[in-house]
Amino acid sequence: MAETAGHSPDRSASQPATRNGMGAFVILVLALAPQIVELLTSCAGLIFNFSGRGPLQVLAAHGSALVLAVPGLAMQSFGGGGKSALSSDTLLALIYTYPLLAVALFTLLVRLRAPQDYFGGIVLMALALFALWASSDLQGMHGFSFGAGTAPRMFGLLLLGLGAAVAVTGLVADGPQLAVYHWRGPLFVSLAIVAFAISIRPLGLVVSGLASFLIAALGTNETRWVETLIVGICLTIGCALLFPYVLGLPMPLLPRFLVQ
Amino acid sequence: MADLFHNLILGFGVAVSPINLLLCLIGALVGTLVGVLPGIGTIATVAMLLPITFGLPPVGALIMLAGIYYGAQYGGSTTSILVNIPGEATSVVTTLDGFQMAKQGRAGPALAIAAIGSFIAGCASTVLIAVLGAPLTKLALAFGPAEYFSLMVLGLIFAVVLAKGSVLKAIAMIVLGLLLSMVGSDIETGASRMAFNIPELADGLGFATVAMGVFGFAEIIRNLDAGAEMDRELVQQKITGLMPTKKDLIESAPAIFRGTVLGSILGILPGGGAVIASFAAYTLEKKIARDPSRFGRGAIAGVAAPESANNAAAQTSFIPLLTLGIPPNAVMALMVGAMTIHGIVPGPQVMQKQPDLVWGMIASMWIGNLMLIIINLPLVGIWVRLLRVPYRLMFPSIVVFCAIGIYSINNAPVDVVLAGAFGLVGYWLIKHEFEPAPLLLGMVLGPLMEENLRRALLISRGDWSVFVTRPLSAALMAVAAGLLVLAVLPTLRRKRNEVFVESEG
Repeated sequence: MAETAGHSPDRSASQPATRNGMGAFVILVLALAPQIVELLTSCAGLIFNFSGRGPLQVLAAHGSALVLAVPGLAMQSFGGGGKSALSSDTLLALIYTYPLLAVALFTLLVRLRAPQDYFGGIVLMALALFALWASSDLQGMHGFSFGAGTAPRMFGLLLLGLGAAVAVTGLVADGPQLAVYHWRGPLFVSLAIVAFAISIRPLGLVVSGLASFLIAALGTNETRWVETLIVGICLTIGCALLFPYVLGLPMPLLPRFLVQ
Repeated sequence: MADLFHNLILGFGVAVSPINLLLCLIGALVGTLVGVLPGIGTIATVAMLLPITFGLPPVGALIMLAGIYYGAQYGGSTTSILVNIPGEATSVVTTLDGFQMAKQGRAGPALAIAAIGSFIAGCASTVLIAVLGAPLTKLALAFGPAEYFSLMVLGLIFAVVLAKGSVLKAIAMIVLGLLLSMVGSDIETGASRMAFNIPELADGLGFATVAMGVFGFAEIIRNLDAGAEMDRELVQQKITGLMPTKKDLIESAPAIFRGTVLGSILGILPGGGAVIASFAAYTLEKKIARDPSRFGRGAIAGVAAPESANNAAAQTSFIPLLTLGIPPNAVMALMVGAMTIHGIVPGPQVMQKQPDLVWGMIASMWIGNLMLIIINLPLVGIWVRLLRVPYRLMFPSIVVFCAIGIYSINNAPVDVVLAGAFGLVGYWLIKHEFEPAPLLLGMVLGPLMEENLRRALLISRGDWSVFVTRPLSAALMAVAAGLLVLAVLPTLRRKRNEVFVESEG
């Protein structure tokens, strides 16, 4: 969910009206982010054979949860309230998605005086709501001893309040516009890190270290390739000597298929 | 009194021999060289180098370990100052002003003052242990769960005060940090909280992972933004003077003194005291400074105070370690491990039964400190020269070092990905002017805070008034409330002035 927050509101200064529309849209995406992420992981699960729910199941479960959450809640309260009837998907819709949808609507209606604070506060609220949902299955207080879920809920509620307060300051006081986001640096540095994480076990330090060095170097247009390549190779050799031999860390050096 | 100094003399008698001094020197050198790699923090350095001391006799091993510890800690401060990557919780504060100083071309004085401050604090607190060790232990015993909870609250308020921008945003960041610290297994029930069945999250988010992300990676990403080149070139051109000037020394001397006193007192409290020390010292300096706005923009007192507090606390935290057997932080826990291997079991009896080892260890900490300053003052020039490496070559190297460092902590690729994700979070935080330092402090203090809150309420049978009825706890809470008011007041006053100006105009 944090990544979704990463490419949050918009790129450059434009008219306030379009900005609000854009902002509301981003909050809408944020509201549905957990569902979308689960759908994508389940699709990936089809390819890599994870166990777990398939994409169709996920789609059906979340779809029905989103549509039926409110009627379900109403039914339950009329029916005298059996305690454990709500599924985790329904809870997600109730605790996380609906409030954020309301916030997205609200965003369309107001004039933002400090978008930077406003959207910052909204994302904190989203994180708090998500944490409240994630800790909703944990045990609460019993007697005066804390359950596992007490403290997360306490801090979750606190963060919700503080996020709301930050957002409100964005409505009442003038403040800075949104800063400009760039895509090149974040993209290639993240790619370099992910590439390292994926390849360190199968391919070993030499290959993955050099690869992530070169991928990271793509993150700026200042890179001179000959120089970068030479430094990258030297650094990789240095690391390959330093970490496993001098410091004695257990770390694969060469690709697995070469060693065997 | 004579008896106490007799102890110190005994300690130095055990510790000082040419071989031991050489071991300490090697330890400090190796510790610095490893600790200075960005991405490898103090804890990781000590853990990696621990095995090389196993073959030595106990005193030699301890003294070498002391050297490694100080070297690693100083190496951590070096990366905090040069590339804005704190190696452990205590050096988070050093990044605030240290990195700003480096940006202004004053990395040399920052590094030198960090070493000098540490050394002075180390000397003072060594004497303090000898004089006050036993009576001060009673203070630690007067702390129950309620007092600890209040102390944690106070610590978190320190983080609010040290933030540059909005108080509200800083508090929000602390709470976010507290929430992040809840991820993983619950200490008491073992229930898995917010871990989404990811095995690597069962232990919680590691400090190193989050710190590397929100400080290290985020800083790199931000520096790659178009328009940031100018900023970076300035850093490389402006390097002036390696050693602090007379003015710097005069400015930082009182800060070092206050940091030492505060650090020594807080270090005695087991569990969290030593972590709070550097934050507290920074806050104190900022509060009593004639011009608080300079803090966070490269004030040398903002480097001197936390570095000396941190070191003083590390020194006095031996008191709870030796008398109660409670290690105050992860590095000290590793040291306990090393002590146990050499047959020293920390606890109430160790001071009486093995005085030579205990005092030898305290003396060796001082020698480690001395070695540190001997090695590092000449090395300052080399570290500063690292800043001249062009950024286009520097940043991929930092990325690779950080990735290897994080991977090596648990051999877990997921940790590396998490650090990357926190890098994006940190980038977002920068874009929305949220500060990462309070978040990290919240994360470090979160588990301690929850544990003590639970215990205090269990003992008081659910009565929340326990935090204000117990005198010590009430006093801590009052200080916290006072600090918060002090932090909020300027904002309110400014708001009022703004309103005033608007109505006039």
